Amino acid sequence: MRIIIAGAGDVGFHLAKLLAFEEHDIVLIDLDQEKLRYASNHLDVATIRGSATSYAVLMEAKIGRSDLLIAVTEAEEANIATAVIGKKLGAQKTVARISNPEFLFKKDILDLKKIGIDEIISPETLAAKEIKRLLTQTSLTDSFEFENGKLTLVGISIDEESELVGKTLTEAAYLNPEFNYTTVAILSDNETIIPHGDDKFKVHDHAYFIAEQDGVERVLKLSNKIALPVKNIMILGGSRVGIHTARRLSKVYSIKLIEKDKDKCFELADSLPDTLIINGDGRDVDLLMEEGINEMDAFLAVTGDSETNIISSLVAKNASVGKTIALVENIDYIHLSQNIGVDTLINKKLIAANFIFRYIRQGEVLHITSLHGVDAEILEFEVKSGSKITEHELRNLNLPKTAVIGGIIRNGLGYTPRGNFRFEESDRVVVLSKPECIHTIEGFFK
Amino acid sequence: MRFNYPVIASFFGYLLLLNGFFMLTCLPFSLYYDQGDHVPIGWAAIVTVSSGFLLVFFTRNPKSKELKKRDGYLIVTLGWLIMSFFGTLPYLLSGTIPNITDAFFETVSGYSTTGATILYDIESVHKGILFWRSLTQWIGGMGIIVLTIAILPLLGIGGMQLFVAEAPGISPNKLQPRIKETAKRLWLIYIGLTAIETLLLWAGEMDFYDSINHAFTTTATGGFSTKNDNIAYFSSPFTQYVIILFMFLGGTNFTIIYLALHGEFEKAIKNEEFRFYAGFCLAIGLTVATGILIISNSPVEKAIRNGLFQVVSITTTTGYVTADYTAWSSFITVIFFILMFIGGCAGSTSGGVKIVRHVVLMKNSILEFKRQIHPTAVLPVRLNKQAVDRDITFTVLAFIMIYISIFALGSIIVSMMGVEFETALGSVAAALGNVGPGIGSVGPGSNYAHLPDQVKWLLSGLMILGRLELFTVLILFTPYFWRRQ
Repeated sequence: MRIIIAGAGDVGFHLAKLLAFEEHDIVLIDLDQEKLRYASNHLDVATIRGSATSYAVLMEAKIGRSDLLIAVTEAEEANIATAVIGKKLGAQKTVARISNPEFLFKKDILDLKKIGIDEIISPETLAAKEIKRLLTQTSLTDSFEFENGKLTLVGISIDEESELVGKTLTEAAYLNPEFNYTTVAILSDNETIIPHGDDKFKVHDHAYFIAEQDGVERVLKLSNKIALPVKNIMILGGSRVGIHTARRLSKVYSIKLIEKDKDKCFELADSLPDTLIINGDGRDVDLLMEEGINEMDAFLAVTGDSETNIISSLVAKNASVGKTIALVENIDYIHLSQNIGVDTLINKKLIAANFIFRYIRQGEVLHITSLHGVDAEILEFEVKSGSKITEHELRNLNLPKTAVIGGIIRNGLGYTPRGNFRFEESDRVVVLSKPECIHTIEGFFK
Repeated sequence: MRFNYPVIASFFGYLLLLNGFFMLTCLPFSLYYDQGDHVPIGWAAIVTVSSGFLLVFFTRNPKSKELKKRDGYLIVTLGWLIMSFFGTLPYLLSGTIPNITDAFFETVSGYSTTGATILYDIESVHKGILFWRSLTQWIGGMGIIVLTIAILPLLGIGGMQLFVAEAPGISPNKLQPRIKETAKRLWLIYIGLTAIETLLLWAGEMDFYDSINHAFTTTATGGFSTKNDNIAYFSSPFTQYVIILFMFLGGTNFTIIYLALHGEFEKAIKNEEFRFYAGFCLAIGLTVATGILIISNSPVEKAIRNGLFQVVSITTTTGYVTADYTAWSSFITVIFFILMFIGGCAGSTSGGVKIVRHVVLMKNSILEFKRQIHPTAVLPVRLNKQAVDRDITFTVLAFIMIYISIFALGSIIVSMMGVEFETALGSVAAALGNVGPGIGSVGPGSNYAHLPDQVKWLLSGLMILGRLELFTVLILFTPYFWRRQ
């Protein structure tokens, strides 16, 4: 596929990285020469300096022969313009990044397809969704359900009390006699390991499992975690993400939202009647205490300032809040994530990039998701008759070492497979794979 | 880890495999002419291929395939050295060139497309070996690293670093978003040009063997010939004009040829570097022709042909000879000496400084006057109607400075080793610019055999330095390169 990406910022770069591994022809357009130089030094892509709304620039990028145009610059108006012009000039499909959610809600009325925008993405809305998902299981650092929980991906941090500490994968298997979960990834010192038999669990590692329905409980027990119900939530920052999250959550949870700007507080109070809006600075520990931070079950720091978010999350963690989530702009911070004490760091740009990645693979892959801080993607495939994966038993398939089959859903039931498992048509398979071998994995399902 | 050694080693392995394969392509000619050189060539190929195979075999599962910038520079410089050592095998094993100094000089002169030779009697060399000699130039012309990128599924991210380190020019253009595809297209154009030239020469007075040899060394802007008298042996105007055309094309930026092939003639013709290159060749060619007419009573057509041929030959750093340019007059000799510093276009197979650098520098110097009058004006150098990045201007300045310094230093050292003035300047300029024939006792009428051994080693180094455009090699000698970050 020939893909043009307008905007070489974090979203654009991350997308280009994901896509370049798969032998797509990628052209990056940006005004900033430095960003382009960085991209062309680190990725196998072509770069063009200029404005993506310019006719000449788009023609130079051979827009007429491109399959997809992705406009992900900072400016929403420019993205819309780029998509519209690009479509006119012959791009097969267009995706535009917007921040104003009205576009998303009024998609049908505005009829964006007609003016040339096939898909819009709003990182803020996606981030709010992500936060909601993360709140469902507070004792986990991450969780994701496949087919309504037939299989669940769970991430836990390994602490001193966990039974898993110091055990190799093979030894840990004895703790799991029913064999109802598989270990799919370990994040150790910022390095993502796809574990094999003699890799060990260490304190402060983050381990990710794919579990059958009753396996989730067992993982929690092993890791010495208790599931806490969430009732009270404190949100720091009346940013777009904050507003979206409050709106989504205020029906179920009781929410306090802290915002620095007084005028903005009035607006917020107006638009979020079910939420208690508090005017104050989130870095003020006294204020947080006064507003009862130690009675909160979850703390979401979503101001525009990453450092404020991280520090206030640490304050919250110190006040024994069960679950802390901080929004960070800087992708590099993600790797620090839980090592410093914040339960989950999320980055809206990464979320947006993954959304687009998923959009591109519609049809080939049922589902794709990525874990915060983990350099791997989780994909769900359906087995087609005659595909390579049905040819041998699992142990003889010769899958790449940097990918692992986590689980299978067959006839509505989830299984975690063993070496002698044989795949059949219409099985749904959950695979965790490093970006560089997604392409190989896809080959097995074709 | 500082360098990705397994991947570097396996890359060298692939280089040797390719090289060995190229050696095998000499065998049909050996067998056809039946002079007995198939045995040494066969052995050379076996040694090269098996060394390559071992390297590839023992490094087959690298932990990470990623190559950093440093890895790129190391691969290209060391790769060229390794290649040059293995390239001496056919000469050494066959006894054509029995000593290592001369064999290495001849091989490096081949790969770097210089075309300086130490052979007195080229015609007595067996045809298979002679084919290998021409082939080394052809391999070096577009660059074996670029070829490796094009055909091996080896590289993920590192391809671009390698490409930049080997391909000449100030900022290589990608013809296609992916580097592998770019490399493929460059080689396809190169192969296409060579094939067409072979056919044209064959249609003229050359036989097939001479045609393919000369096609190899023309498109590579190399300059090796199969004849003692070089191109002067082939006196037909048709053959000489064909060679002029293809030397010119070899010295043209391949991006421009690619554009022209894709129907974008206007864009190709409007390229400033190309215009300057074409105009320059024509103007100097005619000047030299006029010079010839004034001092001798040669026919007009022949004077123009000789003038154009020699000027294009030296400007593109090919180094073919139809007439001894040092024999005409001191005025013309000086012109040719200066031409050795010009070079062809960026992104071509030629060596030297390259036209685009001269253009940028000249424009910058002219702007300096304007800047004196309007001290606060923003006056960027424009190339093809686009402002050139200041960084690029500075890199060009640094390049020329280093180039001149190396020329000066090289000449001093060579003269210290007992070579007389004119020859010292000529040989260093010709080696560094990958031209081939110089002036003085290494001029078009003679060769490099009589130079002392140390000078030959030094010149071999300069040829590689010139072919890889200084920075790639020199950076290995800077402390920053080896310092841990």
